[in-house]
Amino acid sequence: MNNFLQVLGATGPTVHVAPAEVLRIGGISITNSILYGWICAAVISVLLIWVAHRVAVKPRGGFIQFVEVGVEFITNLVVNTFDDKKVGRKYVPFFVTIFFFILLNNWLGLLPIVGEGLRSGENPLLRPFTGDLNGTFAIGLVTMLVVYGASVKEAGGLGKYLRHFFVGNPKNPMFFGIGLIEMFTDLTRVVSLSLRLFLNITIGEIVIAVFAYLGSVAAPVTALPFFMLELLVAALQAYIFTILSVMYLAIAVNHSSHPEEENLITGGETDTIGAKAA
Amino acid sequence: MEIMAETINTEIIGKGLMIGGGFIGPAIGIGLIGGSYLQAVGRNPEASKFLGQALIFVALAELFGLLAFASIFIVQ
Repeated sequence: MNNFLQVLGATGPTVHVAPAEVLRIGGISITNSILYGWICAAVISVLLIWVAHRVAVKPRGGFIQFVEVGVEFITNLVVNTFDDKKVGRKYVPFFVTIFFFILLNNWLGLLPIVGEGLRSGENPLLRPFTGDLNGTFAIGLVTMLVVYGASVKEAGGLGKYLRHFFVGNPKNPMFFGIGLIEMFTDLTRVVSLSLRLFLNITIGEIVIAVFAYLGSVAAPVTALPFFMLELLVAALQAYIFTILSVMYLAIAVNHSSHPEEENLITGGETDTIGAKAA
Repeated sequence: MEIMAETINTEIIGKGLMIGGGFIGPAIGIGLIGGSYLQAVGRNPEASKFLGQALIFVALAELFGLLAFASIFIVQ
């Protein structure tokens, strides 16, 4: 795998999927996707801070109201997933940030200047940040580290958090094995979250490129339906990334707020003995 | 046999089988999810609020098709 991959051979449309170095600062190579990621992060920060200063009780419509609706939607989603609403409200800012970062990165990645439009040498100058596995892996890693940290904090210690993976007594070899598999399943969530986002955005790019190539002269007409589809997919993937990470956190937190469930498994026998004595 | 091996491009066949076989599963799965959702809404219109949860399972099924698509770049 050199510095780019060609789709459909040399004669078809060319899509550069792998990130390519565009400039080098002090021995560190800056790839086109991280360059566009920085631009997008700056644009998103400025835009959302500008919106936050202009939120009014009486909605004025336009982009501000769109952001308001999005924030309220994600807030309700996060709060309703947790059994304890107070716990849920603590994590709302993080998940709203993740949602808007991914959503606007996906949408800004669909602009015509991104990809094959502008070039530096052989490679595109800008690439969507979420169309690079390094970028989505970073987002997934940060999200899952926050989720693990919050789960350990809500469970009240690392030992209590790890205890949740075992359905029964960990000294039982079968429960121990199942618990280890559960822990491994938990660790694969970083990969599955980042791969899902990366593949959806990249394949959308490839599909748009293929249909623009097939249309040749009428490229805008043939590519437009798939562009519309990608707008929907971008929003859907941002939503799915957010709700899946919320659910991973909610599973751990909701479990730790039900101590009586553990008594059913570990202390069930004492209850029946007490009932017999009574 | 050597001539056969040279004329048949196994790369194209492999990629075609990978795409076809990899996409058939998620396609069936997404169809089943959508059908079940519509059935549930038809039986009880209040169930339409579970569209978000249905979409999660669509995304879970979709990942495997995309993995199959991504694997065609590994085939030489």
